[in-house]
Amino acid sequence: MTPSLLRPDQPLRLVDTYPPSAPARQAIIRVEDLSIVFDAPSGQVIAVDRVSLAVAQGEFVSIVGPSGCGKSTLLNAMAGLEQPFEGQVLMAGEAMLAPRSEIGMVFQQPHLFPWKSVRRNIAHGPRALGKPKAEALRIADDLIEMIGLTRFASAYPHTLSGGMQQRVAIARALANQPSVLLMDEPFGALDAQTRAVMQDNLLELRERINATIVFVTHDIDEAILLSDRVLIMSAGPGRILKDLQVSLPRPRSSAIVAEAACLALKRDCLDLIRSEGRRAFEQMEIKT
Amino acid sequence: MSIGRRSIATATARLSVLVAALSVPAFTGVWELVARSGIVNTVLFPPPSTVAVAVLEWIRSGQFFADLMASLARVAGGFAIGAAGGIVLGILTGRFRLVSSLLSPLFHILRPIPPIAFVPIVILWFGLSETGKLFLVVWGVFFTVWLATHIGVQKVDRGLIRAAQMLGTPQPQMLWEIVLLGALPYITVGLRTAVSISFYTLVAAELAGAFAGIVYRIEIAQQNMQTGQVMGGLAALGLLSFVADRSFAILAERTVWWR
Ligand SMILES: Nc1ncnc2c1ncn2[C@@H]1O[C@H](COP(=O)(O)OP(=O)(O)O)[C@@H](O)[C@H]1O
Ligand SMILES: [Mg+2]
Repeated sequence: MTPSLLRPDQPLRLVDTYPPSAPARQAIIRVEDLSIVFDAPSGQVIAVDRVSLAVAQGEFVSIVGPSGCGKSTLLNAMAGLEQPFEGQVLMAGEAMLAPRSEIGMVFQQPHLFPWKSVRRNIAHGPRALGKPKAEALRIADDLIEMIGLTRFASAYPHTLSGGMQQRVAIARALANQPSVLLMDEPFGALDAQTRAVMQDNLLELRERINATIVFVTHDIDEAILLSDRVLIMSAGPGRILKDLQVSLPRPRSSAIVAEAACLALKRDCLDLIRSEGRRAFEQMEIKT
Repeated sequence: MSIGRRSIATATARLSVLVAALSVPAFTGVWELVARSGIVNTVLFPPPSTVAVAVLEWIRSGQFFADLMASLARVAGGFAIGAAGGIVLGILTGRFRLVSSLLSPLFHILRPIPPIAFVPIVILWFGLSETGKLFLVVWGVFFTVWLATHIGVQKVDRGLIRAAQMLGTPQPQMLWEIVLLGALPYITVGLRTAVSISFYTLVAAELAGAFAGIVYRIEIAQQNMQTGQVMGGLAALGLLSFVADRSFAILAERTVWWR
C-alpha cells in the first residue's frame, strides 16, 4: 500500500477565480482578449474567442476542453506560431510576434527530426542558438541520462517506441532551458500505462526545473494531478469557462487520482463542464 | 499434394532463372544465325560478331575512351548544374510564396517543352560549342528536379518546421537542413528521373553537331555505312545509361539514411 499523499487535515478547495481578479502576481504569460480566426473553405472559423488569462512565474496551469475547442490554437498563439486576429499575447511583457527560444514547446506528436539521432535531436536547440558543439552534446547527454535513454543515445527516432520518442521531445524542448514550457497533449497518443509513468516523470521533473508550464489536455484526471490551476474551455468557439485552483499538496504522484478527495474534485469539474456545456449548447440553439 | 505443388513452384523458379540467364545469349545466337544465313543484308544487319569486332577496334584505337569521356562530361556536368539549380530554386519557390508567384508560372510554361525542341535555337545561340550541349542537358534536368523539390518542400511535415522554429533554428539552417532533408525523399525521385532525361538530351545535343562523343560516333559510323560500329555505339550508350540508373538507385537508397 502506498501511503496516501493527501493529508486529511488539508481540505480540498475548488475556487473559481475567473475572470482573473487582481493582476496576478508577476504574471509571466498574459493573454489579453485573444481571438484567432482561420480561413476555412467553408468560411471563417473562430478557433479562439476573446480569451484572457494570466500565468504566474513558476505556475503549472492546465487547459482542459473537448477536442476541437481551440486548445492547440491558444497554445500555438502563446508560442508565437499563430498570430492574433484580435487581442495580444504577452510573454514577460513583450508581445509574441514570432517563436522565441526561451519558450519550449512539446507537441502532441513528438516531431523529432528523423534524420538525427536522439543525441543530435536534443543538441539541435543549443546548436541553433550558437553553442559550441561540445557543449551542446554535453547538454544533450545530461538530458538523455535524465530521461533514462542512455542506451539509445545514438538511435534514430523511428527505432523508438512512442513513449520514448515523446521523452526525447521533452528533453529536446528542455535543452534550451526554457523559462516557459508549453505542452500540447504530450501524452495523448500514449497507452494508459506509459502515460501514468510519463505523468510521474513530469511531476518529478517539475520539482527540479524552475519553469512555468502550460499543459493542454482533454483528460481531467491528468489536469488535476499535474496542475496548480485548471482552465476549462468550452467547445467552439473556444472560450474559457472556468478557472479552478487545485490545492492538492505536492509532491503528488499518479496514485492520487484514485483518492476519494480527488474523485470529488473531478466530479465537480465534470459538473461544471456539463452545465456550462449545456448552456453553451442551448445558446447555440437559440442563435440558429 | 501440397509438397508436390511446392516442388513444382521451386522447379518453375529455377527454370525461370535459367531462362533469364540464357535470354541474351540466345537472342545473340539467333541474330548471328539469321545474319549469316543470307536471308538479310549483312551490310544493314551485321551479325553480332561483326559488331564485336567493330567495338574492339573502337576501343583499341583509343577513340572509345575519348568518346566516352566527352559524353560523360556532358551528362555529368549538365546533371550536376541542372540538379543543383533545381534543388536551390525548388526550395526557394516551395518555401517562399512570393518567389513562387514570381517563378512558378514561368517554369510551368517552359517545363512541358521537350528539350530536344531547343536544339535549333541552341545552335543559333552557342554554335557547336560545349556550352550549347551543356545547356541542353541542364535544361532537361532542371525542370524535373525543380518540380520534384518544389512539391517535396510543400510536403515537409509542418510539425518538423514548427519544432525547429521553437528551438530557435536560424533561417539558413531551416532551409538547408530541415526543409532540404524533409523534402529529400521527393528530391531523390526527381533526381532519378532526371538521370534518364539527361541521356535523352545528350543524344539530341550530340546529334546537333559535336566533335567527340558516343552518339557523335554513331552518327559518323552511319555516314560511313559502318553498321557494326553504329550498333556497337548503341550498345555502349544503353550500357552506360543502365549503369548510371542502377548506381543512382543504389545511391538514392543510402541518401535517405534514416529510413
Ligand atoms: N490551420 C487551420 N485552418 C483552419 N481551421 C483550423 C486550423 N487549425 C485549427 N482550426 C480549427 O480551429 C478549431 C480549433 O482547433 P484546435 O485548436 O486544434 O483544437 P483542439 O486543440 O482543442 O483540439 C477547430 O475547429 C479546427 O478545425
Ligand atoms: Mg489539439
